[in-house]
Amino acid sequence: MSVACPNGELVPASNSSGFAGRVCRPFLLNSQNSDGGWGFHPDCDNAVEPTCWALAALSSYANTNRDSSHEESVRRGLKWLCDAQLADGSWPAVPAQRVGCWITSAACLTLDAGGYAPHQVARGLQWLCDFWPAEGTAWWRLASKFRRKSSLVRQDASLRGWSWTQGAASWVEPTSAALLALNRSPAQSRRIAGAARRQSLGERMLYDRMCPGGGWNSGNPHVYGVAGVPRIGPTAWALLALRQYRARSENQMSLQWLQDSYGHIRGPLSLSLAHTCLTAYGKVMLPVGPALEAMYSTNQFLGSVASVAWAIMAVQTTPQSVAILFGPSGPSPMIQAANSDASADRPPR
Amino acid sequence: MSFAVADLRPPFERPPSRVAIRPAVNYQADLANVLFETLREFALPVRGKTVLLKPNFVEHDPEFVINTHPAVVAAARESFLRLGAKTVLVAEGPANERDTEAILESIRLREFLGPLGRIFVDLNADGVELVPTRTRASKLKELYLPRSILLADFVVSMPKMKTHHWAGVTLSLKNMFGIVPGSCYGWPKNALHWAGLTRSILDINSTVRPDFAIVDGIVGMEGNGPIQGIPKPCGVLVLGDDPVAVDGTCARIMGLVPERIDYLSHAGLLLGHLQPAKILQLGETIETVRIPFAVTETFRDLQA
Repeated sequence: MSVACPNGELVPASNSSGFAGRVCRPFLLNSQNSDGGWGFHPDCDNAVEPTCWALAALSSYANTNRDSSHEESVRRGLKWLCDAQLADGSWPAVPAQRVGCWITSAACLTLDAGGYAPHQVARGLQWLCDFWPAEGTAWWRLASKFRRKSSLVRQDASLRGWSWTQGAASWVEPTSAALLALNRSPAQSRRIAGAARRQSLGERMLYDRMCPGGGWNSGNPHVYGVAGVPRIGPTAWALLALRQYRARSENQMSLQWLQDSYGHIRGPLSLSLAHTCLTAYGKVMLPVGPALEAMYSTNQFLGSVASVAWAIMAVQTTPQSVAILFGPSGPSPMIQAANSDASADRPPR
Repeated sequence: MSFAVADLRPPFERPPSRVAIRPAVNYQADLANVLFETLREFALPVRGKTVLLKPNFVEHDPEFVINTHPAVVAAARESFLRLGAKTVLVAEGPANERDTEAILESIRLREFLGPLGRIFVDLNADGVELVPTRTRASKLKELYLPRSILLADFVVSMPKMKTHHWAGVTLSLKNMFGIVPGSCYGWPKNALHWAGLTRSILDINSTVRPDFAIVDGIVGMEGNGPIQGIPKPCGVLVLGDDPVAVDGTCARIMGLVPERIDYLSHAGLLLGHLQPAKILQLGETIETVRIPFAVTETFRDLQA
């Protein structure tokens, strides 16, 4: 079997680490823009999300393979990422936007995992803690009683997590990303007033939004009395964000759903996330490289920088590499302090 | 609803719209021929142009009950190429799934279209431009829109004929929600809901009004659509040069009163024709193909 590189060259398939090194790493290096950032696709304008995942992937590759030959590329990428931060501490999705969004979590994770720009990370985390979703205020709850569609979904709107964009409702993935960012930097988070409360609310919101039977979708466990169907991506993100509660029945049910679904995954981003998540939970997984390589040989991941970056991280993932990006999985000392009467394995209810 | 921009034409200034209803019993039928012959009747200005097909690919759907069937998309692509289009792209930005490729593989799009690399555009991850909305129906005022949409010469909305638990129906106008990039608005594109769901539909379509619409009504969806409803075989393709007229015709086929559908009634003021007298019907008549759709409790008042 051969696989196509971004430049169209066909190269023979090899083992999984070869796939990361021969195909994915060159793809990322070749698709970096001259100013240091990455777009969602090669030759596309910079965006913060692909830049974050490309940097995380290249750093992971360097750590795993003790290969610092792309150090300059990472340095330029980090500079672009730092320069993209807005005055209020947040990051926008694309530089043209002047308002921050959920991607601030990914930027903080990426910078903190590499030990870069701690002051900028602190400002980003502060912004995250000040960034409330639009739903769940007292006024909103009162008004929702009179909206005819308010009864269509069944969830506790008082449990406020994080939204994708300002002025919108909480959803599973941005909430998970924010929790991961705050947990990644416990020392920084501890200095932020209200951070423990935000984390506690976010964790409870995630459990409230879990689908019946385990797993998560974007955030609607029930619509019109019908149980929502879980999806791979949100489930992996939520499980990663809640991995300090790994013994909880909800985690175990969701983990089982993810394991059962693993063999049916059809997309590279989902497969990489699921593999990373299952590895983080200590599940012994077969190497994911061959499956990813087969996917690459069909659609070249649709040219997605994020998919290629996550493929590198998945191929090389170990519990240790997960800890580097997302922090240790032990109980959050801040949450423990905030809920001294709760067990370490249970978030406040 | 008030529109601050008068750049859109009221019905009395518009020529009549044309809508064709074509029977197609199933997805194994010769759809390419049906679509090609019908599109030729419309004499569309696509020769040498870049045509962008915007299907409704929202969910993992191996049973083909939620998304626009890939056989219809492939037939449309082939037809536009036969009509002389220089390039025919297929583009979508799924609202709930960040792994677009997973959706495309679940519906086996590659088997129908061939290698997707040069054909498919993920609108959630395209380059974006900030564009002021041409109406002010919602709170949006401006939209980040994918460059592929803005650069296309001819945009075709290709929805599946479905009911929708928030909007009543989802047809060619609602389908345009999918052009708004998740990279800027999230998954789902919840900012649009908070700006006013039905009003956002109007602002998106006033800003990027589809040049043509092809509705997959071979098997639609009724009840708790757009994802968890029940398949509804209808055996029709509905095509037209006015998305409002096409959606109005589809609603009538579904046994609904389009004037009672909030966003559609307002679309009829500036974006196209809703009145039957202004719609030149080609092919089958509405009466011969009408098949009432079940709707959720909150939309019972839409039924004729």
